[in-house]
Amino acid sequence: MHDFENVTNNIGDITFMLKLFNYDKPNVYQLSDEQTAIKVNNLNLSFGEKPVLRDINLRIPKHQITAFIGQSGCGKSTLLGCFNRMNELATDCKVSGEVFINKRNINSKKENVSRLRASVGMVFQKPNPFPMNIYDNVSYGLRLQGLKERRKMDDAVERALVDAALWEEVKDRLFEPASILSGGQQQRLVIARALALEPEILLLDEPTSALDPLTTLIIEELMVELKKRCTVIIVTHNMQQASRVSDYTAFMHQGEVVEFSDSDTLFTMPQKKKTEDYITGRYG
Amino acid sequence: MFKWLPASKNHSFIVNLCAFCTTLLLLVLLSLLAFVFTKGSGYFLSPPVYQVSYKDDNGKQHIVFAQFPSGYSENFSGRVTASTENTIYQAQLPLHSRQISNIEKRSDVANISLIDGRKLFAVPQHIRSSKDLKVSLSELDKYLNIIDDIREEIDEIKQNELTEIDKILASVDKSSPSINPIQQSALLKYQSLQKTIAELENKRDTFSLNMADVKGESIAIVLADIHSISFPSNMTWIGKIKHAFNLLWLFLSENPKQSNTAGGIFPALFGTVVMVLLMTLIVAPFGVLSAVYIHEYAPNNLLVTAMRVCISNMAAVPAIVYGVFGLGFLVYVVGGNIDALFFSDALPAPTMGAPSIFWASVTMALLTLPVVIVATDEGLNRVPQGLRKGSYALGATKSETIWYTVLPIASPSIITGIILAIARAAGEVAPLMLLGAVRFAPQLPVDSEFPFVHLERQFMHLGVFIYDGAFSTQINPQGASMMFATCSLLLLVVLFLNIVAVTLRARLRERYQ
Repeated sequence: MHDFENVTNNIGDITFMLKLFNYDKPNVYQLSDEQTAIKVNNLNLSFGEKPVLRDINLRIPKHQITAFIGQSGCGKSTLLGCFNRMNELATDCKVSGEVFINKRNINSKKENVSRLRASVGMVFQKPNPFPMNIYDNVSYGLRLQGLKERRKMDDAVERALVDAALWEEVKDRLFEPASILSGGQQQRLVIARALALEPEILLLDEPTSALDPLTTLIIEELMVELKKRCTVIIVTHNMQQASRVSDYTAFMHQGEVVEFSDSDTLFTMPQKKKTEDYITGRYG
Repeated sequence: MFKWLPASKNHSFIVNLCAFCTTLLLLVLLSLLAFVFTKGSGYFLSPPVYQVSYKDDNGKQHIVFAQFPSGYSENFSGRVTASTENTIYQAQLPLHSRQISNIEKRSDVANISLIDGRKLFAVPQHIRSSKDLKVSLSELDKYLNIIDDIREEIDEIKQNELTEIDKILASVDKSSPSINPIQQSALLKYQSLQKTIAELENKRDTFSLNMADVKGESIAIVLADIHSISFPSNMTWIGKIKHAFNLLWLFLSENPKQSNTAGGIFPALFGTVVMVLLMTLIVAPFGVLSAVYIHEYAPNNLLVTAMRVCISNMAAVPAIVYGVFGLGFLVYVVGGNIDALFFSDALPAPTMGAPSIFWASVTMALLTLPVVIVATDEGLNRVPQGLRKGSYALGATKSETIWYTVLPIASPSIITGIILAIARAAGEVAPLMLLGAVRFAPQLPVDSEFPFVHLERQFMHLGVFIYDGAFSTQINPQGASMMFATCSLLLLVVLFLNIVAVTLRARLRERYQ
C-alpha cells in the first residue's frame, strides 16, 4: 500500500517534470501561422556600404520568450530594431525583404510607423526615463495616442505599473520625478511605459546589462510573467540569462542566424560547430 | 619647449601673475560699481544746506546757499549746488574750501522744487492767500492739498469731457459748409468748459508763497508752481530716508524735465522695457525654430555647416552696422513699401517708413538672433540620444518627440539664450539712435488710446538717455547725478534680468534633470 502510493507520487513527479521541461514546445521551423508572432522573409540590411544582416529567414513564436545571442556586432540588436523599424533613425540604413506582423508587411511604404511602434514596445540597454514625473512617463505613449480622459489614463497607468511589478514601490509618489528611482526601478518604469500601450510584442535590448544581479533577477522574473500578455524578444550577452528565461534562442554570427531552436536543445545539444564554440566559451 | 616661460623655473611666479590679474579685474569691476552707485545715489540724498561767504578769483565777495554733494568737510574742492545772488535757481558752482571765509548751517533754508523741474534754495516766510491774507507756514500742507484738489479737477475735465467733445467735433463731416446742430452744441459746451477751467486756474493761482533769497530780498512764487518743499538741514535720519525713497519714486515715475537734467526717467525705462519685450517676442520664436530646423531637420551637408559658422560669426558684427542696415533697409525700403501698400492715404507723411520702436525691436532681434540660435543649438545637442529613441519607440513622430521631449529638456539652454539676448538689447545704444530712440518722446509707445500699442512711435531708451546725458553734462553739469542715477538703474535692470535667468534656469534644470 505504502509502496503503491510512492509509485503514484513518482509518476506525478515525472509528468510534472515533463511539463517543467516543456517538451511540447513546437519546432521553430514548423510553426503554423497562428503560432507565429513575427515572420521574417529574406531580410537584408546594410548601413551605408556595410552589410549588417544577410538573408534572414525566421519565425518568432507567439507568447514565448525568444533570445538572440551572439558576439558584439553580429547584428542581433539590428535585427531587433527591424521589428519596430527603429533602424530607420540612421539615415544611411537600407532594408530589403519582408517582416510580417499580423500578416502585415511592416516594411511596406504604407505601414504607419507610429502605430507599429505603439504595438511593438521596446526597452533599451540603459534605462531612459523621460525627465518628467513617474505618472507622465507611463502615460506618455497614451497621450500620444490621443487619450485625454483622466480616469482611463489613471487606470491604464496603474495597470501598466502593476504589470511591470513597480506599483507597490511607487504608488505613493507617482508625481515625483522619475530620476529619483533606482536603476532597476527605472528599467521597470520603462517597461511599464511600453506596457501601457498594451503591445503585442515587447523588444528588450540587453535590458539588464546596466543592472546589478539582484535587480537582474527581478527583471527576469518579470519577463516570465510578461509572456502571458505578449511575445517577448530579448537580446542578451549573458548566456545564463538566455538559458534561464528564454523558451527559444537564436544564435547569430556575422549577420546570419546560425542556429535557432528551443533553448534546451540549443544549449544542451547544439547542432552547429559555431554555436557549440560560442556557448562553451571557446570564442566570443 | 616652453623654456622661455618663467613657469618652468618658478611655478609660483605664474600663479601669482594669474592671481594678480584676477585681483586687478575684480578691483576694476568693484570700483566701477562703487563709482556709479555712489554718484547715482547723490541724486536721492539731501545733505544739509549752508550759507557760504566766499571770495571768487577776482577777489569779489559773494554769499550763496550751497549744498555740498556729501556734506561739508574742511578741505572740500569741487562743485556745489547753490542759489547765488544772481540767480535764485540752483546751479553748479565750483568751490574750494580756501575761498570760503564764513560758513554756517541754515536749518530754515528750504529746497523748493518747481513743477517745471527747476529747484531753488530760499527761506520761506509766509503764504499769501486770495484776500491778501498772510497765513503762517504751518498751514502750507493744507494749501498744497487745496491746490492739488483743484489741479485734479481741471485734469478730470480736460481728460473726460474735452476729449469727448474733441471726438464729436472730429467725427463731423468737414466738407459740408453749414454747421450742424450737434457741432454747435458741442462748441457751446466746449466754450463753457473752457470758462470753468479758466476760473479754476485763476482760483489756483491766487495762492503764493513768499520767501527770502540769499540777499534777504523777498520774492513770491505761485503756490501752484511748486512741486515740493523740503528742509534738508532740518531732517532726521528717518526723514532723510523717507525723502530719498520719495525722490526715488519720482525718479522712476515722472517725466524728465529741464532737457533731461531733472525730474524722472519713467518714459526711458518704459520705452526700454517695451522695446525689449517686443524684441523678445520676435527673437524667441524665430531663434528657437531656426535652431530646431538646423539641428533636427536640415541635412548634414556643407551648406548647413557654412550656415552655422555664419550664424556664430554674426554675433561679432558691430551693432552700428545693424543700425545702418535697419535704417537703410528695414525703415526706408520695407517700411516705405508697407506705407505705399497699406497707408497710402497718409503719404507723404510716413507711417511705418520712419524710425520707430517697431523697427528698433526688429533690428535688435536680428542683432541678438545668433545668441538665441547658438544657445538653443547647444541645448539640443545635449539632449541624450536615448531619450529621443525612447520617445520614438513609444510611437511618437519626429515632431512629437521634439515638442514633448527634446524642447523641454533643452529649455534651460533656450531660456539662457533668450535672457542673454535681452540683457544685450537692454544695454545696446548705437543702433537705437538711428532707429527711433530719441532724447525726448512726447508719447509713450503703449497707452490707453486705441489701439493701445503704437508701434510707429518713437521712444525713449535708458542707454540713449545716458548717452545724451553724458554729452550734455559737459555743458550743464547739473545733469551728471541724474545720468549716474540712470546708469545705476540700467545696471540694476540688467542685474535683475540675469538673476531671473539664473533662477529660471536652475528651476528648469531641476525639473528636467
